[in-house]
Amino acid sequence: MAPALDIPALEVAHLTVSYGSTPALWDVDATFPSGAMSAIVGPNGSGKSTLIAAALGLVPSDSGRSTIFGRPAKEAMRRVAYVPQRESVDWDFPITVREVVEMGRYAEAGWLRRISRSDRAIVDGAIERVGMAPYSRRQIGQLSGGQRQRVFIARALAQEADLLVFDEPFAGVDARTEAALLSLLAQLRDREGRSVVMVHHDLQTVRSMVDWVLLLNVRAIACGPVASTMTPDNLRRVYGAADIGAPAAEGAAWVP
Amino acid sequence: MGPLIDLLPLSYTESVVVVGAAVLGVAAGVLGALAVLPRRSLVGDALAHSALPGVAIAFLVTGARDPASLLVGAAIAGLIGAFMMVGIERTSRIRPDAAIGVVLSSFFSLGIVLLTYIGTTGNAQQAGLETYLFGQAAGLLERDVNVMAVIAALSIACVVLALRVIKTTLFDRSFAASVGVPVRVVELATTALLVAAIVIGLRAVGAILMVAMLIVPTVTARQLTHRLGPLLALAGVIGASVGATGALLSSRAEIPTGPVIVLVGTAVAVAAVLLAPGRGVVWRWAHRRRERRSALSSGVLIDLETALHAGPPPTVDELVLASARPRGDVRRGLRALDRAGLIERDDDRLRLSESGAAAAHAALDERRLWSAWLEHGWRLDLGDAREPDPRDLRRTLGDELTDRLLGFDAEAAPS
Repeated sequence: MAPALDIPALEVAHLTVSYGSTPALWDVDATFPSGAMSAIVGPNGSGKSTLIAAALGLVPSDSGRSTIFGRPAKEAMRRVAYVPQRESVDWDFPITVREVVEMGRYAEAGWLRRISRSDRAIVDGAIERVGMAPYSRRQIGQLSGGQRQRVFIARALAQEADLLVFDEPFAGVDARTEAALLSLLAQLRDREGRSVVMVHHDLQTVRSMVDWVLLLNVRAIACGPVASTMTPDNLRRVYGAADIGAPAAEGAAWVP
Repeated sequence: MGPLIDLLPLSYTESVVVVGAAVLGVAAGVLGALAVLPRRSLVGDALAHSALPGVAIAFLVTGARDPASLLVGAAIAGLIGAFMMVGIERTSRIRPDAAIGVVLSSFFSLGIVLLTYIGTTGNAQQAGLETYLFGQAAGLLERDVNVMAVIAALSIACVVLALRVIKTTLFDRSFAASVGVPVRVVELATTALLVAAIVIGLRAVGAILMVAMLIVPTVTARQLTHRLGPLLALAGVIGASVGATGALLSSRAEIPTGPVIVLVGTAVAVAAVLLAPGRGVVWRWAHRRRERRSALSSGVLIDLETALHAGPPPTVDELVLASARPRGDVRRGLRALDRAGLIERDDDRLRLSESGAAAAHAALDERRLWSAWLEHGWRLDLGDAREPDPRDLRRTLGDELTDRLLGFDAEAAPS
């Protein structure tokens, strides 16, 4: 498909973030088209998670700006569902699958009022869609890694957001779950025109499933459609001499 | 609190003490969860210790041992301690545990120095200030209990009203921020509520041991429920009963209240940690033991079936050799099979009974099904997040999928 570039789902310009004196992101420009599935790819410590958090205004940035569907990020957060890394939460927390997914409705339904019937239906639908209906009363600590990720994705679905942002959604997730969730995300894009941006580490998946990619290593190395962006040359610039998963047959053998 | 005090079948003084301790228990139980669940229990400890110099300074300023002003002093000092901890964490590279340690010990030292100084001034009013160290519920007046009850009711009302915000922030801070929750404000507010709980309990439990009243109810309640709402309610009930029991015991035995309450609470928590169904140590141990035994007996059953298939009924020694298991294991497995009526003994030779043969075949089928799942399971499109139980695949997968799985297996097997 040809992603529409006119109003990007997410755009950052001159984004610089530093922890202490070392920059985690340095003057990053990137655009993620709406209605497309995009990935942010780069080595460990390249600032992938930081880019997401800073773009959504969750960590302070030194400079730069970020727009979501053409509006300043702060005003457009209602249209965004953010799924943090799974390790960032305490899985022994006393909460059930259903309650976690319900969190996706709080911002819309109000933090005080009763959850309405239609909100309840949205929550049920989201749980059903990720296949977790048989588990909705379980405490989340009793789930496997793949099931936990399904719960997180169900919460994002319950938010009914136009832009879904995932931080490493498939780290430590079994292959069956990853395939099921990726096809669910593709469905969201194709049938409902939603935009997806995810941090991903598996170059193979990115090549086969994703439309658009940002290659990041503190600086933005390249950003564009997968086919024209994930060139051996660009990958080498991102990953340096390390193995880049690009077969040598592509003429990418690196000669010191 | 008057009517409640009149209702108890105790003397007036004892009733006041018991109701007061119950109020502090409810508050500490509910509000303590806000420190324990995000793994910041020791923040509660530091806050309690830093309240002490506040009590001393309030006494020096007012010159009177008026509980209300002393508690205001305690609250202010506790909040200053809280801000210092947050400030040290944010601005320097000192880690939270170190920041907690520094604030706790320095404030507490200041408190001791001030209390000692007050002791030397010969002010007749100062007698009894040391009860803020270890707590003395016996001296509570109905007036004090009323103040405690009002603060407790307000604080708990805040928690109930903001339950969704608190739940979301405690569970997933970055998600909460992404949906517009001012997480820093929420964290400061929960810290302030914690200070309120400490102020309520300071007089009766004392600065040193207050932390136990914050932790014990949540730890106990967590063993019994896995939902936040019920956990908070349960923690309140547990806190109240522990507080009331401890206060009654201490005032009858004339021991400082803090240690007695803490010992009662520890006993309750230990019992819950050991015995709670599902999470308790004893329960989990028994569960593990059952699992090990059933794995062993089904293993020995299959070994015996295999041996019978290969030759004449084996003796126990022959079975030990053939199965390559420790002798003790084989004997234990055989005893279990004997009890279940699955084997028959023919002098010293072993055979399977009719039900034993059926059980052996069922166990073999189960194993085959499990390896078929591991090998071909990815080809089944389950359509949901089910993750089959290896011991009972047919039930968790359903008959249709199980048959398809066996079909894949038969295809792949060399004919």
